[in-house]
Amino acid sequence: MKDVPGTVSCIDGSTFIVSDSSGDIESSPAAPVGLFAADTRYLSRWVLTIDGERMTALSVDDSHYFEAAFFLVPGGQMDYVQADVSAIRRRRVDADLTESITVFNYGDQPREVDVRLEVAADFADIFEIKFAVGTKAGEAYTEVRPDGLRLGYRRGTFHRAVALTADRPATFTPDDIRFAVRLAPGADWSVELRAEMRAWRPDGVDLRAGPRALRSDASVLPESVRAWVAAAPTLDTDSTTLRQVYQRSLVDLAALRFAPLSLGGATVPAAGLPWFMTLFGRDSLLTCLQTLPFTPSLTPPTLRILASLQGARTDDVLEEDPGRILHELRYGESAAFEEQPHSPYYGTADATPLFVVLLDEYERWSGDTALVRELEQEARAALAWMDRHADLTGAGYVSYQRRNLDTGLENQCWKDSWDSISYADGRLPGFPRSTCETQGYAYDAKVRAARLARVVWHDVAFAERLEREAAELFERFNRDFWLADRGWYAVALDHDGTPVDSLTSNIGHLLWSGIVPPERAARVAEHLMSPALFSGWGVRTLAEGQSRYNPLGYHTGTVWPFDNSFIAWGLRRYGLTDQAGRIAEGIISAAAYFEGRLPEAFGGFDRRTTRYPVRYPTAGSPQAWSSGAPLLLLRTLLGLDPHEDHLAAIPALPAMFEHIALLDVPGRWGRLDAFARHRPDNPPATTY
Amino acid sequence: MTSTDAFFDRLSAVGYDARLGKVSGSVRIDIRVDGGLRHWRLEIDRGHLRVTRDGGPASAVITTSERTAEAMASGGMNGLAAINRGEILVDGDLGLALRIGRLFPEPDAGDRPDGPDGGTP
Repeated sequence: MKDVPGTVSCIDGSTFIVSDSSGDIESSPAAPVGLFAADTRYLSRWVLTIDGERMTALSVDDSHYFEAAFFLVPGGQMDYVQADVSAIRRRRVDADLTESITVFNYGDQPREVDVRLEVAADFADIFEIKFAVGTKAGEAYTEVRPDGLRLGYRRGTFHRAVALTADRPATFTPDDIRFAVRLAPGADWSVELRAEMRAWRPDGVDLRAGPRALRSDASVLPESVRAWVAAAPTLDTDSTTLRQVYQRSLVDLAALRFAPLSLGGATVPAAGLPWFMTLFGRDSLLTCLQTLPFTPSLTPPTLRILASLQGARTDDVLEEDPGRILHELRYGESAAFEEQPHSPYYGTADATPLFVVLLDEYERWSGDTALVRELEQEARAALAWMDRHADLTGAGYVSYQRRNLDTGLENQCWKDSWDSISYADGRLPGFPRSTCETQGYAYDAKVRAARLARVVWHDVAFAERLEREAAELFERFNRDFWLADRGWYAVALDHDGTPVDSLTSNIGHLLWSGIVPPERAARVAEHLMSPALFSGWGVRTLAEGQSRYNPLGYHTGTVWPFDNSFIAWGLRRYGLTDQAGRIAEGIISAAAYFEGRLPEAFGGFDRRTTRYPVRYPTAGSPQAWSSGAPLLLLRTLLGLDPHEDHLAAIPALPAMFEHIALLDVPGRWGRLDAFARHRPDNPPATTY
Repeated sequence: MTSTDAFFDRLSAVGYDARLGKVSGSVRIDIRVDGGLRHWRLEIDRGHLRVTRDGGPASAVITTSERTAEAMASGGMNGLAAINRGEILVDGDLGLALRIGRLFPEPDAGDRPDGPDGGTP
């Protein structure tokens, strides 16, 4: 996992370690390296020396996401001379960290070797790292014991600690763990170290004890990953790239599963390494939508936890309203002391409609009406939120304007950076803002909820009301957002209703939601596939030629794989198979340059110019919805859709694939296979 | 009458909360006072609420100080943050405890960090 150049990561849900290529951690206040759990850095220094010398990795094996092995020699790579002493450092994360060090003496003389691990724990909250805050309000402490070292941090009743132990005699000091090793010629020596991370309550109970007891032990992790991959459909294709991407995506989705405290061991997708290793409403909902045909077990716990934390009150710091689905949930110090509003934070306009969309899509695949009945109240509350709390201008749109002026998000759509929504000439609109894709989600939520109301809740009057509201929204949206002279939809409406006219990828989501009249779909697709938006790899977030366009702008020019997967799905919905195929081909080809792992985003540079997708400097990886993107693209290529109790497949393969077979696709039908074959002399066949 | 007393009296008087219409279970709140514990026990049966003062078993047990209980009952506290900083202890069904959290009054935006027990030492 070397996606941030030079770093190696091991992850298991919300526990992760990021080190340099030799396995060392030397954190600076602003770098997201270290050993983390529950949004807290438990080790900020973890440096191995042998006889006072730092080590260099000759190779690193990180083929499993939860473990890594470093093959080390003393000294720097540049001045390497044949060393008598070498070492292997193996680490594995589960709820804690286990690391073994083996030292070899290949010399012909006996050696006295000083093996030393420098340690420190700054207990930085992930937000202190993100915003480079160096000061702590509480007190750190160190306890040196004969059999271990405990580093801790207290602030009132908030208490976090890491206990460092070794299975061999060691000398513990506040700064290091040392071993005096005597090695005969040809001999080796090993030690196993443990770093146990605790979130202590005042009564001595670990807050993480519940999930810790329920999660699988490190020793069974390989089996749990095999079982996870085996439960997903089997892919058979001539494309080695697609095979690699598929396998990588499934494994990364396994890596990002984490068990929130309140869910009794069930796992939901964490959004991504390193900044987002927690529950996000939007990310988890979209990831579930992408992965329903492949890993449907993610969806019920995701819907349940979002339902259980659904807003019930009005709170201007959390930006909570009754019925609103959360944006972000955190467990670190800044959340605990409400310096950040993440307990939980509700500042998102789209998670609430997406909650309803996922509930319906899940039922269409699974036939699990029991869950739809279980969550009826929450779904109704979500729909009521859209009408009662989200229409801030009175124009009939889901809009946003932050109420938490200190730490709230300015943009509460998926493009949540400050400059993501702009006019073509670069001006930023005022607030409240209503972004176009959110109206699509709201429309889709009403249409889908109407189906649920009719079929599951048996409330015809509610269904009819929702259908009427959806039709009115369709009408209104197509009048207010459509820019007839340009042939695309405004990215947003300004506070006064003025259309914000820039050309963006957001219009692709409208196709997925079905809010585009068929006669306009081709024009929208034309813009999506135009050189201004389509880079050759995928659709850029913001089109070339718009004032704020920058191929390395986070939401103003980069290409986001997840964004593209939903755009491709939308194109298929309108029968635009060639365009959907071009996007799938571009994104899956790009993945080959990232060893099968699509990052959060990559540069918007033209494919013909760079010939490879340019890494976005701080892109997170793995990211759940980037791992989900190839799965949704596969669904799109195969044209998979639940049709009553059957799985329909209407494949349309671009030229790069000769055949794709997906075996044992789970759903209300049990398991069914889908096949697609493409020959130049023979149009794509349909079988299922 | 404390805010906690008033809060439970109100629950007892109302007797039903539609938001808990699909919830059944019991929650005991143990409030630390003068070296002992004062109990409140809330039984929920598909939204129907029954409040007692006994210390019987419950699917979730919430332990806290009197000051924190008062802050919760009067709406000055984010429960999840308080759990996270060790000020409210929940044993048993945390999911149920969080649902009960919805019954408490809205937080008072003026009263924020370093709540009653959480000050810097």
